[in-house]
Amino acid sequence: MTRAAAAAGVLLLMLAPPLLTGNQFFLHLGITVLLWTLLGVAWNLLGGFAGQVSFGHAAFFGVGAYTTMILYLKGGLAPWYGMILGGLVAVLVSLPIGLICFRLRGPYFSLSTLAVAEIVRLVALNWEGLTDGPVGLLITTLPQVSLGGRAVNWESKVPFYYIIATLAALAMAATWRLSRARLGAYLLAIREDEDAAEAVGIDTVRAKVVTLALSAFFTGLGGGFYGLYYRYVDPDAVFPIALSVEMVFIAVVGGLATVVGPVIGAVFLTTIGELFRERFLVGHLIFYGLFMMLAIRYLPEGIWGGARRAWTGRR
Amino acid sequence: MALLTVTDLTKDFGGLRAVAHFSFAVEPGEILGLIGPNGAGKTTVFNLITGFLRPTSGQILLEGRSVVGLRPHAVTRRGIARTFQLVKPFPKLSVRENVTLAAFSRLPARRDAEAEAGRMLESVGLADKLESPAADLTLAEQKRLEMARALATRPKLLLLDEPMGGLNPREVDQASALVKRIRDDGVTVVLVEHVMKAIMRISDRVVVIHHGEKIADDAPDRVVRDPGVIAAYLGTRVA
Repeated sequence: MTRAAAAAGVLLLMLAPPLLTGNQFFLHLGITVLLWTLLGVAWNLLGGFAGQVSFGHAAFFGVGAYTTMILYLKGGLAPWYGMILGGLVAVLVSLPIGLICFRLRGPYFSLSTLAVAEIVRLVALNWEGLTDGPVGLLITTLPQVSLGGRAVNWESKVPFYYIIATLAALAMAATWRLSRARLGAYLLAIREDEDAAEAVGIDTVRAKVVTLALSAFFTGLGGGFYGLYYRYVDPDAVFPIALSVEMVFIAVVGGLATVVGPVIGAVFLTTIGELFRERFLVGHLIFYGLFMMLAIRYLPEGIWGGARRAWTGRR
Repeated sequence: MALLTVTDLTKDFGGLRAVAHFSFAVEPGEILGLIGPNGAGKTTVFNLITGFLRPTSGQILLEGRSVVGLRPHAVTRRGIARTFQLVKPFPKLSVRENVTLAAFSRLPARRDAEAEAGRMLESVGLADKLESPAADLTLAEQKRLEMARALATRPKLLLLDEPMGGLNPREVDQASALVKRIRDDGVTVVLVEHVMKAIMRISDRVVVIHHGEKIADDAPDRVVRDPGVIAAYLGTRVA
């Protein structure tokens, strides 16, 4: 009951901002936070629950973004459908990646994801027939849609806000569902000790591949949304290592293997990032990095994990 | 028919032959002790049987069906469970959750799996620790937890890798009693052990491995008098 109330509360909090403010900057900030939330939640499925630290999730993001753009520009498919297909293509890409990288464990796995993501980026950069290479792809106008008899205004941020809020909420619901399912329990076992997990009858490779696919799906959706919102993608924008690393940070700072953690991580890091950028034009990343180190040193369970511990400890 | 038949099992690590043409059989309902000096290849044999390592050559049959090439989880589902020499609990998970995860292999519903875990933990004497994180248990308790976890997969054959290593004499007695009770409940047991007094007391039969080869396979009281075995443990001058 309290869980349902908490979920309703979070949902309201996510949906309310457009009703409270018409300020486009704040809505843009909200959209940014929610996009990072979606990505953090997606990464957390694999990295937090199963303990498989991927440094290559930008690959799925970029594939989702490019799929959405290409299907619209070259196939005329509206980007909201393209976004979903972007998620599905990311799943397809994740399968061989999983089968290759999951042969390795721990840091070797992490390094292999980094390498594979670079390969995907280079393919996007050089396959000019499909991607237009470094020039990138640009959408000039979005197709007309009417909702309840009124044309959706794509020049406003409000429709984008609701789209990304819905996606983030779906990803969180999927995480919650997973955490209660048998697969969720298997992932924790894999995180704790992979050999022991195999020894008790858990097909660890399958559990990891399925989870990677789910994680890739939501990451690909996020990439598709990025294409829809910014109307422009190029390899540097959607495939950089920094993007993969940011997803890791959000989940770690927020709280690994929690439903709410990535939301907090996204709010925190987006605002901190903006603040530092404003204060220290040069070298703001140094302060950002310093902040990350302090957060990991003093809140190893993340902000949400630490808060939860403090709360249950006091009772 | 033997429950487990291992024939001509060989494992090379690069130029090192860890297990060499090793053959033995396990009869249903027995406790078989597998002993040998450090580095003799005992744990390697366990890893080969349970799919953690792939044999260079040789055959491993459970009830007449080969388990070679299966991944460990599939071997477990066929009915061979194991514990580890260096305990591998899921440290941050509760004692109950540790065993529930193992029961899931047969009981998909969480409620059933938890009930089964409760029974298993009761039978190994950990019923009062259900909610403790596994990391908080003593070594003796962690070894019992691993046994409960292995039993929750409902194995036909249980491979115990040094269940008594590092325990004090009283804990060794408790562990011996537990191993016997597991056998009496219908699970065939193979154990690797260095605590000789215990293994000689509870084993029905003892297989001795040295440099990856079998040098004895007999009743415990005869194995201890075997000149080859004494030489392997103490050197030839004593024998």
